[in-house]
Amino acid sequence: MAGTGTAHLRSASDALLRVENLVVEFPVGRTGLKVNAVSGISLDVLRGETLGLVGESGCGKSTTGRAIMQLPRPTSGSVMFEGKELTSMGGDTMREARTRMQMIFQDPISSLNPRRKVRDIVMEPLTIWGRGSKSQRNDQVDRVLDEVGIDPQRAAESQPHQFSGGQCQRISIARSLVLDPSMIICDEPVSALDVSVQAQVLNLLEDLKQRYGLTLVFIAHDLAVVKNISDRVAVMYLGKICEVAGSDELYRAPAHHYTNVLLSSIPVPDPSVAVKRHPIEGEPPSPVFPPSGCRFNTRCPAAQERCSAEEPLLREIGDGHFVACHYPVHGGDAPVTVRSSSN
Amino acid sequence: MTLTIESPPVADPASAPDTPARTQRRRPRIGMWFGITWLGGLVFCIVFASVLPFIRLYDTKIRVGGKAGRYNLGPGWTAWLGTDSSSHDVFARCIYGARVTLTVGVLSTVIGLVVGGLLGIASGYFQGWTDRVGSIITDSLLALPPLLLALLLVYRMDDLKDVYSWLGWLDRQWEITLTLGILAIAPFARIARAQTIALRDREFVLAARSLGAKSGRVIAREILPNLIPAMLTVAVTGLGILVAAEGALAFLGLGVERPLTWGKMISDGQRDLARAWWATIFPCLFLFLTVISFNLIGDQLARRFDIREAAI
Repeated sequence: MAGTGTAHLRSASDALLRVENLVVEFPVGRTGLKVNAVSGISLDVLRGETLGLVGESGCGKSTTGRAIMQLPRPTSGSVMFEGKELTSMGGDTMREARTRMQMIFQDPISSLNPRRKVRDIVMEPLTIWGRGSKSQRNDQVDRVLDEVGIDPQRAAESQPHQFSGGQCQRISIARSLVLDPSMIICDEPVSALDVSVQAQVLNLLEDLKQRYGLTLVFIAHDLAVVKNISDRVAVMYLGKICEVAGSDELYRAPAHHYTNVLLSSIPVPDPSVAVKRHPIEGEPPSPVFPPSGCRFNTRCPAAQERCSAEEPLLREIGDGHFVACHYPVHGGDAPVTVRSSSN
Repeated sequence: MTLTIESPPVADPASAPDTPARTQRRRPRIGMWFGITWLGGLVFCIVFASVLPFIRLYDTKIRVGGKAGRYNLGPGWTAWLGTDSSSHDVFARCIYGARVTLTVGVLSTVIGLVVGGLLGIASGYFQGWTDRVGSIITDSLLALPPLLLALLLVYRMDDLKDVYSWLGWLDRQWEITLTLGILAIAPFARIARAQTIALRDREFVLAARSLGAKSGRVIAREILPNLIPAMLTVAVTGLGILVAAEGALAFLGLGVERPLTWGKMISDGQRDLARAWWATIFPCLFLFLTVISFNLIGDQLARRFDIREAAI
């Protein structure tokens, strides 16, 4: 699970976003130790594509998303967005570039300022950048609110706590859309919502993606959600990428033992489906003292001596299917037959 | 054979669980209303002291049988709260004293709130070196005994006034106000800093930054509105403390000489406490009721904003 390596990256000219060897470290107090939140990952997203980023809590998914936004700036590595290098940009250029990508957060209520009117929150990006005249701004805000299914009239006089979680997430989406970005980083946008509302918000994201020609980076721990929305999925473990593949390919034939374990943890709401369990023990190791070699070797059912000594690089094992494992699962041993949804 | 079915007493489900909650909520409200009434009445009297018929001028002497005498009247109809050593009406002097006391209290709170608030917000938001410098300032202010610092500051300002002629505006009242304001900086800064740190990691702040808002805008639009309830609550309680502190300084002889303050009245009257208790006790009572009013209102505000914070 080392997952260092850039073999899975496609030609730089096609990519809207290209992240190379991204490293994010946080100091642990004044101990001189550091949390290796993200340790050299590479990703790319083509225009119009949806990249799913999955992994368990604390594996660095959200940190990756924020490092792409340069909030905070990564420790090292390169982030190319729309052909421009973000990591070396100065303050004002950076502020400008950030408007082309936006972020939606996990907690819909915390992502809206409780003391402001919803309409002002959605208009804020336009106000910051002084876009258009007052009436043009009003029109645009009304239009976007309408598109995400929020009544502009009500938004004008209500505060966020007067809306439900799902509605708040819609408002967040509206706010991210008014600047007309080319990419949206969704940081677990539905994990705080009820399942019924999740579907609505996901459908809305799909619709808007089509209408605005958006590119999405979709961060989640819910594999079922990611499967339906993503074109390509990257699996992360402890700050590294283990496996990258097209969504269907990954779920059909996971090659990394961690992906395998992860997929087998999806509950199947049908008792007649035989589930091949791949048990896993213990907790992920501390990112302050990550294991040597492959970071998954301490918990991997197939770990051998080599795994703790040598870090595996991402390599291609199938068409567009990359894995960072010395001894990948053979023959696409899918733990669960995840039936392809009818859509 | 008759069969009587006694229905067990059924507690009214609507009222039963409500009762404790209602009393719990109502008790502090009485306190708050008392506080508002007291302060409202006081402010009304202060503002209209010169036109209200029942308030004498603070230096009007009450003569009994043509003569002014020391403590010639106890509390009664003529002078509600008695007269003091110079046969002034204690009630009138309490009202006029409130003028200075409350002005000093409010202005010093504003100084503390603005300076301390800005310091705290800067420390909490920018962290790093700004925070270190800010923390050193607040910690130093908190490390000194407040009374000692106040005495030093007032005397030092007296000296400075003699040296620099442009400090002529700095009368005793301003000296006390500035001193109390400086003492109030540290607590306000601490609270503002803690609140800012809690807010700056909220996602709406991150969202504003990702929209390209500059630090100043993030502070003004996202952080400040969320700080106001907490700071307001602290300010009201702090006002009570500062009013009491002004009394303490006046008692130590650092009061505002003219016209007068409650602290000065207490310090003047206490020598003759045995002979004329009213000249001391009534200013004390005014001070006590005013401070407790601020505290009761502050408590109620805290409760109210807590509930709102939790609901959000």
